[in-house]
Amino acid sequence: MSRSARVELAVGFVATAVILAGLTFAIAREPARLDTAQAQLLESQVDDAMTLYAQNCAVCHGLAGEGIAATPALDNDGLRGADEDTLTKTIARGRFDTAMPAWSLDDGGPLSDYQIAELVALIRFGDWSKTKDRVVDLGLAPLVPFSADPDPAIFEQVGDLPDGATLQKAITLYATNCVACHGPDGLGTSLAPALNDPTVGTKPSDELTRTISLGSPGTLMAAWQSTLTSEEIDALTTLIQRWDEIPAGAIPAPDVPIPTTEESLALGETLFAQNCSRCHGPEGQGTPRAPALNVKGFLAETSDLAIQQIVTLGVPGTPMPAWGDRMTDAEIQAIVGFIRTWEPSAPEVATPVRGGGGPPWLRAAPQSPTDTGTDWRALLLVFSVFLVGAAAVIGGYLGLQGDGPKQPAE
Amino acid sequence: MHKIFMRLAYILGENPPDRAPRRSRCSNVPLMSDDRPLERMKERLSPPPLPTDDRGRARLVLDTLILHLHPARIPKRTLRWTYTWGLGGLAGMLIGILVTTGIFLEVRYTPTAPDAYLDILNLRSDVWFGDLLRNIHHWSANLLIVVAVLHLLRVFFTGAHRPPREVNWLFGVAMLLLVLAANFTGYLLPWDQLAFWAITVGTSLVSYLPLIGEPLGRLLLGGPEVGPTTLLNFYTLHISFIPLALFGLMSLHFWRVRKDGGLSLPRRAGEALEGTPERVTTIPHLVRREGIYALVWLAAIVLFSIFVSAPLEGIADPGLSPNPAKAPWYFLGIQELLLHFHPFVAAVVIPGLAVTGLVLLPFTDVDTSSVGIWFRSARGRSIALFSAGLSLLLTSAWVAADEFVIRWTDWLPNWPSILSNGVVPLAAVGLVLLALDTWVRDRLDGNAEERVLFLFVFLFVALLVLTAVGIWFRGPGMELFWPWAMPAAT
Repeated sequence: MSRSARVELAVGFVATAVILAGLTFAIAREPARLDTAQAQLLESQVDDAMTLYAQNCAVCHGLAGEGIAATPALDNDGLRGADEDTLTKTIARGRFDTAMPAWSLDDGGPLSDYQIAELVALIRFGDWSKTKDRVVDLGLAPLVPFSADPDPAIFEQVGDLPDGATLQKAITLYATNCVACHGPDGLGTSLAPALNDPTVGTKPSDELTRTISLGSPGTLMAAWQSTLTSEEIDALTTLIQRWDEIPAGAIPAPDVPIPTTEESLALGETLFAQNCSRCHGPEGQGTPRAPALNVKGFLAETSDLAIQQIVTLGVPGTPMPAWGDRMTDAEIQAIVGFIRTWEPSAPEVATPVRGGGGPPWLRAAPQSPTDTGTDWRALLLVFSVFLVGAAAVIGGYLGLQGDGPKQPAE
Repeated sequence: MHKIFMRLAYILGENPPDRAPRRSRCSNVPLMSDDRPLERMKERLSPPPLPTDDRGRARLVLDTLILHLHPARIPKRTLRWTYTWGLGGLAGMLIGILVTTGIFLEVRYTPTAPDAYLDILNLRSDVWFGDLLRNIHHWSANLLIVVAVLHLLRVFFTGAHRPPREVNWLFGVAMLLLVLAANFTGYLLPWDQLAFWAITVGTSLVSYLPLIGEPLGRLLLGGPEVGPTTLLNFYTLHISFIPLALFGLMSLHFWRVRKDGGLSLPRRAGEALEGTPERVTTIPHLVRREGIYALVWLAAIVLFSIFVSAPLEGIADPGLSPNPAKAPWYFLGIQELLLHFHPFVAAVVIPGLAVTGLVLLPFTDVDTSSVGIWFRSARGRSIALFSAGLSLLLTSAWVAADEFVIRWTDWLPNWPSILSNGVVPLAAVGLVLLALDTWVRDRLDGNAEERVLFLFVFLFVALLVLTAVGIWFRGPGMELFWPWAMPAAT
C-alpha cells in the first residue's frame, strides 16, 4: 500500500474515532441536556406569561396576582399546587357565573393554547414579585383602588335623607365591592360603566336587581348573588336609583400610589429631563415659567392620580400642555413615579432657578457609552478590505504584465 | 481498508447464473433450495480467501453496487484532491444525511400552527437526541448550499461546464435552485419568529413578478400572507416534491457524468494530454478516498452539531414584526439589492439575468482547449485575481456610496420610481461592467473566455460582498452598522 493511501487510512480512522467519541459524549450528556432544556423552556414560558398576564389579566387579578375586589387572588399555594388540567380549563373556557371569560381562541377569546399553557406555568411556577415589575414596566398597572373609605361628613349627611340607613349601607357596600370597577362616586372607569348616571338610575328596579344578582354575560360584571344577600342587592339598587341625591365626594378616590420599578424610574427621569425640566427646573425646583414640583406642600397634597391627570390633560389657561397627546399612559406614569421619589427630601420652600434649564442641547447630557472617539475597528476593517482588494488587483495586473505575449486565442 | 471493501463487495455482489462462477467458494445454488440454510448463510457471509493480484481483485468487485455509480476504472489524474475537492460527492452525502435525519424529524413533527413550534420545543426538551438530529439537519442543510455553490465554482473555473458536459451543467443549475428551494421551505417549518418573518420577507419578493406575481404568491402561501396553510404547503414541498425532483435530477446528474466520459481531466497550464490517460481501478483507489472524505466531513458535522444548536426564537407572532426582518442568509444578497434598486429590478430582473446567465454559460463559453486547467491558464488566474480584487473594492464602495451619497430619486424627482430607482441605476451598473469588459478586451488583450471569466468572477464577488453586508452590516431599519456596534433587534 502506498504512503499516501496509508496517510488517508490514518485520517479515516481518526475521523471514525472522532465520530464515536462525539456520539459517546452526546449520549453521556443527553439526560443533563434534557433537564437543562426543560428548565430553560419553563423559564422562557414563565417569562412570556408575565407579559401576557400584564396585557390580559392584571386589570382584574391585580398587579401581582393579589386579586382585586371580587376577582380571586392567584398568588397562593392552593393554585400553585392545582393540577394543570383544571387551570388550563378554567383559563380556556372561563368560569360560569363569574366574571372570568373564556380566553381560548376556540371559545372566542384572544389566547392560543400555547399562551394559555404559558399562563398555567406562571401560576404554578412563576414569581409574582417579578410579574409585578413586568406589569409596571409595561405601563399596564391597574390603578383602580381595591376599596375606598366613604367620606365621614357626607356619610353622616346621607343618614339624614329619607331611608338614609339603606343608602348608608349601600355606600359602604359600594365602597367595598364596586368602586374597583365602577369608580369613585360611581363615575365609571375604563373597566365598567358609570352608575351615577340618569340613564342607569331611571331603569326599573327589577332590571337593576337582576343585573347585580346574575351579572352581565360577556362583560366583567359578575353575578353577585353568591356574595351578597338579597337585601344588600336591594340596597345597592336603591343607591343607583337615588344617586342624584348623594352629594359628590361621598365615595372619594383613595390615594393609590403609582407602582414603580427601577426601569420605570429610569424612564421617568429621562422623560422628565427631556420634557419637563425646561419649565419646572432640572430638579423640579421651578422656574419663572412654571411652579416648583419638588416641594413638600405640592407633593403631600397631590395624589399620584391627580398628578397623572394634570400631566395628561394639561392645565387650561396656563402654558402646561396636555401631555396625553404626546406620551403614552405608561410614560406619564413613569414621570409621576419619578416625581414622587422627591417627596422624602423635598424642601418646605422651593428655590426656583432663574433662567431655567435651557434648550436640551445646552444641558449636560450623560455621555453616550458608544461614543468613544475614533472607531479603530472600523478603520482596521475598511483598511484591510482595501488592502486585500488592492493587493489582488495589483497582483493580478502584474501577473498579466509579466506573462509576456498572450497566447493566441483558439 | 481495502479488505473491508472487498468483503463488502463480496456480500453486496451479484452473481448472475449465466456467468462463469468466480474463483471463490461462492456457489450459484439458490438459497431457498438448500437443505442446510444456516450453513449456507454462514458460508455466504464468511469471506473467501481474497485474491492478491489486481486483476483478481478487479474481477471480485466488478459486479458490486458501487459500480452502478462509478465506472470500474477511472483516470488516475481525476483522483487529485485539489481538482474536485470532492464537492459533488460531499453534496450527495449531505443530501443523504438530510434525508436520513429528515425522516427521523418527521415522526415528531406536525405541520400545523402552532403545534409545529411546540413540536420543536418538545424535540429540544423531551426527545432523546432530538436536538442533535435537528442540529445535524440544520447545519447540513446550510453546508449543502455552500458546497453546492463551491461545486458550481469548481466546475466553472476548471471549464468542465463546456461541451460535452453542458447538459449536466444545466442539471446542476436546476439542482442548485432546488437546494435553495428546499432550504427555504424548510426554514419555515420551526414556526418561530425567525422562520415566520424570514419567509414573509422572502416570499414578498415573488409579488414583484409581472402579471403572475400576485397569483403565484397566493398559490405559494395558500392565502394573502404567511399562515397555517403556508406551513402545510411548505412542508409538503419540503418533504415530497422537492426531494423527489432532487433525486430525479441527481440520478440524471450522476448518469451524465459517466455518459460524458467521466470527470474532465485535470492538467496544468501548458501541459498537453496525449494518448490514453493512465487508469486505476475504482475499488479501492476512488472508493477509499470517498469513504475517508465522507468520514471526515461526518465527524465535522456531528461535532459541530453537538456543540452548536440551531437557532430557535419565540413562537411566530404575525402581529409583531422584528426590526430588522431579514430573509434567510443565502437570500440576503437579493435583499441587499432591494435597498439599491426598485423592487422589480432587484427581485426579478437581476436574479432573472443571473440565472439566465448561468443557463447560457455552457453555450457561450465553448472553447474546450482549456478544459481541466484551473482558471483556464496562468493569464486566467491573474485575471480572476484582478477581477476579484476590483469587485471587492468597487462593490464595497458602491454600497457605502449608495447609503450616503447617491440619491437617484432626489436627483430625478419627477421620474417614476421604476425609472429613477430601477432602470437608471441598473444602466449605470451595466455601463460600468461594459466599460470594464471593454478595458479587459482592449488593454489586457482579453479573449472571449477571459472576458467571461472576468465578468463571472466580478459578479460572483459582488454577490459575496452584498450577502456579507446583508448578514453582518444591516441593522434596525436596514441601515448600515458596524457588526460590533450592531443595535439589538427589536
